[in-house]
Amino acid sequence: MSKSPPLLVLERITKDFPSLSGATPVQILRNVSIKVSDAESLAIIGPSGSGKSTLLNVIGTLDRPTRGSITLEGDDLAKLDEDSLALVRNRKIGFVFQAHHLLPQCSVLENVLLPTLASDLPNRIEDSEPRARRLLDRVGLSARLSHRPGQLSGGERQRVAVVRALINAPKLLLADEPTGALDRASAENLAQLLVELNREEGVALIVVTHSMQLAKRMRRICELTDGDLRELESTEGDKL
Amino acid sequence: MTSWTLAIRSLRFHARSHLGSLLGAAVGSGVLVGALVVGDSVRGSLRAMAISRLGKVELAMASNDRLFRQKLADDIGASLDATTAPVLQILGTATTGDADARANRVHVMGVDQRFWELAGDPPSFSAISPDSVVINRALADQLQTKTGESLLLRVRKPSALSQDAPLSPSEDTLVAVRLNVQAVVSDSEFGRFSLHASQIPPFNAFVALPTLASRAGVTNQANLLLIGPKRGEGNTAITLDSATKALRENWTLADAELKLQELPNGNGAELRSDRVFIDSPASRAAFAADSEARGVLTYFVNEMRIGERTTPYSMVTAMGAPIVPEEMAENEILLNQWLADDLGAKVGDELTMAYYVVGLARALEERRETFRVGGIIPMQGAAADPTLMPDFPGLTDAENCRDWDTGFPIELSQIREKDNAYWEEHRGTPKAFVTLAAGQRLWGNRFGDLTSVRFGDQAVGTDLERQIRDALDPASVGLQFEPVRESALAASSQSQDFGQLFLGFSFFLIIAALMLMALLFQFGIEQRTSEVGVLLALGFKPGKVRLLFLREGAVIGIMGGLLGVFGGTGYARAMLYGLSTVWRDAVGTSALSYHASPATLIIGGVSGAGVAILTIWLALRKQARQPAHQLLSEGPADESPSLSGAGWTKRRTDLISRLCLIAAGGLIVLTGMPEGLAGAETFFFAGTLLLAAGIAQCASILTSLGASGTSAKIAFAHLAVRNATRKRKRSLATIGLLACGSFLVMSIGVFRLESGAGAAKRSSGTGGFALIGEATHPVVQDLNTQSGRDSFGIDSANLAGVEVVPFRVLDGEDASCLNLNRAQKPRLLGVQPELLAKRGAFTFAKVVEEAPLEDRWLLLKSGKQATVVPAIGDQASIQWALGKKVGDTLDYTDEQGNEFKIRIVASVANSILQGSLLIDESAFIERYPSTSGYRMFLMDAPGEKMEIVSKVLSRALRDFGLEIEPAVRRLAAFNAVQNTYLSTFQVLGGLGLLLGSVGLGVVVLRNVLERRSELALLLAVGFGSNALRWCVLSEHGVLLLLGLGVGAVAAFVAVLPAVIAPGAQLPYVSLTLTLALVLLSGIVWTWVAARFALRGKLLDALRNE
Repeated sequence: MSKSPPLLVLERITKDFPSLSGATPVQILRNVSIKVSDAESLAIIGPSGSGKSTLLNVIGTLDRPTRGSITLEGDDLAKLDEDSLALVRNRKIGFVFQAHHLLPQCSVLENVLLPTLASDLPNRIEDSEPRARRLLDRVGLSARLSHRPGQLSGGERQRVAVVRALINAPKLLLADEPTGALDRASAENLAQLLVELNREEGVALIVVTHSMQLAKRMRRICELTDGDLRELESTEGDKL
Repeated sequence: MTSWTLAIRSLRFHARSHLGSLLGAAVGSGVLVGALVVGDSVRGSLRAMAISRLGKVELAMASNDRLFRQKLADDIGASLDATTAPVLQILGTATTGDADARANRVHVMGVDQRFWELAGDPPSFSAISPDSVVINRALADQLQTKTGESLLLRVRKPSALSQDAPLSPSEDTLVAVRLNVQAVVSDSEFGRFSLHASQIPPFNAFVALPTLASRAGVTNQANLLLIGPKRGEGNTAITLDSATKALRENWTLADAELKLQELPNGNGAELRSDRVFIDSPASRAAFAADSEARGVLTYFVNEMRIGERTTPYSMVTAMGAPIVPEEMAENEILLNQWLADDLGAKVGDELTMAYYVVGLARALEERRETFRVGGIIPMQGAAADPTLMPDFPGLTDAENCRDWDTGFPIELSQIREKDNAYWEEHRGTPKAFVTLAAGQRLWGNRFGDLTSVRFGDQAVGTDLERQIRDALDPASVGLQFEPVRESALAASSQSQDFGQLFLGFSFFLIIAALMLMALLFQFGIEQRTSEVGVLLALGFKPGKVRLLFLREGAVIGIMGGLLGVFGGTGYARAMLYGLSTVWRDAVGTSALSYHASPATLIIGGVSGAGVAILTIWLALRKQARQPAHQLLSEGPADESPSLSGAGWTKRRTDLISRLCLIAAGGLIVLTGMPEGLAGAETFFFAGTLLLAAGIAQCASILTSLGASGTSAKIAFAHLAVRNATRKRKRSLATIGLLACGSFLVMSIGVFRLESGAGAAKRSSGTGGFALIGEATHPVVQDLNTQSGRDSFGIDSANLAGVEVVPFRVLDGEDASCLNLNRAQKPRLLGVQPELLAKRGAFTFAKVVEEAPLEDRWLLLKSGKQATVVPAIGDQASIQWALGKKVGDTLDYTDEQGNEFKIRIVASVANSILQGSLLIDESAFIERYPSTSGYRMFLMDAPGEKMEIVSKVLSRALRDFGLEIEPAVRRLAAFNAVQNTYLSTFQVLGGLGLLLGSVGLGVVVLRNVLERRSELALLLAVGFGSNALRWCVLSEHGVLLLLGLGVGAVAAFVAVLPAVIAPGAQLPYVSLTLTLALVLLSGIVWTWVAARFALRGKLLDALRNE
């Protein structure tokens, strides 16, 4: 158990959705609290419509909670404005979606470097390109740098999405059903990749998944049911 | 990898979806560039016309009624080493040999080969034969004549003595010349030659200079001198200063129609004028040259009476030494022995003298003056000098008294044998003498108050002529060069800005194109919502995301601007074709050609690109505002608001609708039912408010429909209407575009100017006058008097109830909307303001100071100063043709070279007075005394007699080139310009509407493509293909009908004054056709788009979900 302060702290997070008919709002998340440490891996499982993606969106600052607080590296995210949150998303969080959401008009290398354009730092692209090449080589795509997403397989696209999420060396990697659109073999490969990168890059990993197989490869598993988050078990994670 | 790299990549990847935006940007930019190029083309065409009509002429000296030696041109040309040409220019009329065709206001010019050397493209003939005439294309077309046929030219003999001057003979001064057409010259061959800027070519007839001068009785004289560039390489322009210097070095007294001659018997010398009366500047110069010079004024008196004895028709001289002693009183008179004997006079007797003075319109007024006989002198020596009488044209060559033509009525029965005998023996030897002061008081007139200046023996032999000449400014006797080329180019460059005009006409077309571009661009972005979501999720700020898309839009805008430059030239050519054909009434010429300056193309292209980029930026403002997760998962949200949001939106739009409705209703109630076209602007504004109310109400309806809750019963029709609310803003944009377009196109007709309605009223643009006439030659007689009518053989019975208001005319540039050039010196009309004031003629638009209605014309008499003359003009002329406003001034130069200002003190609205400035007749005469007679007439005539009156007067004054037309027709010609502009706007606005209907088709396509899966579901649950098509058509048909309907209703209110005005003629047919075309276009595009979007296997959309 790490003795350093937790990387991410959620306290009594609630998320309501208003009803179109004006009736009582629907509560998707109900007093969700959790702590995640550096380089830790966590899986969130639960039935469809339980709010898993909503929870991930809230953690990833893509959505705001109705009540509760989120602290990332000691910063209270509720107090940050939209521009600051964008900065947090860019520098501290990496996102992997079920659909890869690669830009079809850009090459593999360009897609990976896309997050660097959001930064105002000088020489950001020149500084990031070596890292991009290294990571793409790590995931076995060094020969496909100039290829477009349309020329890649589903698994390859998802690997590019993972590298994109890691390009700015975030502290936290969020993956929403990363293997949901892949075949079994590709899914297995991607799962393995996520676990390895979690260890190699020292990035905390939170995965939302239906797949128990993937979930068991994480150190911790939480289940979200009817808006409540319950920790199921801590495991050793994937033993390499 | 840079932001621009991403933008370019995205552009190339999504090129197909951006193609529509690019086309929209290109159309908008092209129309903008095209409008600016039209402006360039009009300016360029006017400049080309100016250069064509002036050829190589740089400077010109037009002395009009004054004549100078033709040799002066040779002398000045030698001094300047430049090509110069003397011209004798006379206004005349032309008829064909069989008198079938006629042209008035023909500029008959006596020219020689030097004139043709100044042409831009000298014609092939070397000289004009003595019995031939060369005419221009305009005259040839008017007369339907060609080379070889004969013409009859009628010109007025130039006379040194003005027809308005006392003792000007009344004999016919017209001379007819029959000539054969030698050639018809083109514009570049100097056929269009004129010193006045106008795009309408004049009627020009060129005759051999010696022929015309001889026939006009002015051999070796000219009244126009043209100067071209220096001879030799380079063609350096001659400056005004050098030309003026050359004039001063080479002119002689003869060029000012003055002559210095020795008196008989060595009695000294005298200065005389061909103009009989010596101009004041000339007499001042004579006295400056010799302070001992003596002035002489000889006049023709009707009668001298002592008691019952009378002596008729005699010369009396006013002078000083040696005949009249200095101490003689002003009321004393010296008689020669012959007169004393005839009257039985002795010193101390009271003598009454009767004489005529000439007033306006040659109105003769007989005056009487009483003198005391101060002495009787023998008829010898200085007292028996026949040269004391000047060369009165109607007297000098008369063999006997019965041959006299003094311009005054002569009772021949009063002339006795002894009077005849006196004339035969002594000619014009004066019979009596008064002091110079007395004579000048009695007989001084605007032409001068001396008939000669006499110099003593001591002056003879000295360089007296040079001294007089040096003391006399040639400009003061009408000899002054003008920089005609510079003025012409200024007139063309300051002409009406057709660029801005066509930008105004085309603005709806540009708006429609840009909106279509923005709509299509937005559609493209909406297809990439997941891309937006990803960028936000990756940490891009919303502003940065919008900037990324704006870069794409900027490239589209720039490419559209570039394409627009090419397309714009095509649009400009199409507009120029329209201006030369169907819209010719607006420009009065078909000679407009394409000109485009690189600067205009660059400015147009950059502006077009800029406007397109700005439009895209506006369209992007609302992008990237939704949460990233929503964009990633669901795509762009429907715009159906929640109940609470809908409630506020509906309240807001309802409020706007009601406020606009109340304001419109209030305006209509306050204005009341319009009489004629009064209140047209208020109703237009009310229509605009109704338009806003209609669009706001549509927004409210869409909002409430979109937010309505579930219903137990739904109908298929409800489904169609509800679908329109899904993309509320898109639907509203379509409704708004169609409503605004149809409103503009239909309602702009309210500003059409109708000349017929109320034309008989004094307040109308005709001033209540029935007829307007313009003559080529001045009419000096008063057409309102019996004697005036008798002089033309007019039966007064035919003119019963007819009154004529005459105007003196100083030719200048046409400052009406028919002249595209900026008038530098508008035509001046001199009128007695009382004649217009008592009629309350015309409606004043603006006045510089408040004055009672009936006195406003009298402002022409008020505030006159030595150097400022008040003037009144038409508001349109002042504002558009002159670029001035009430209170502004213009610079003029009078006949004696003195500069003065004309100040615009008032303007009249939409009148037949367009093109000229009116000043008080007395001010006109004071400054232009040589301009005799009247050349423009406004006539009151009973309605049923108009045709008869027109025929009678036209026939009687045929030789004066009088052209008469109904005043309402003249007004219609002016109104045609504005009405043509409105028609142009309606045509281009209609094109914009058509483009808007294409936009509707694009919206349909987009809407259906977005909902293919829903439509597939309908198909899957049992709806047929036709039902789906009907659903799509009806959903969008509602938008089309709403848009056109709101616009049509609002437009109807706006044009209500025009609809109910008596005699108003709205273009119902063309407006109905336009609307029908737009409706049909909208339906067709909707049908095509629906068919395209619903093609293929719709059910596959369900499987791919």
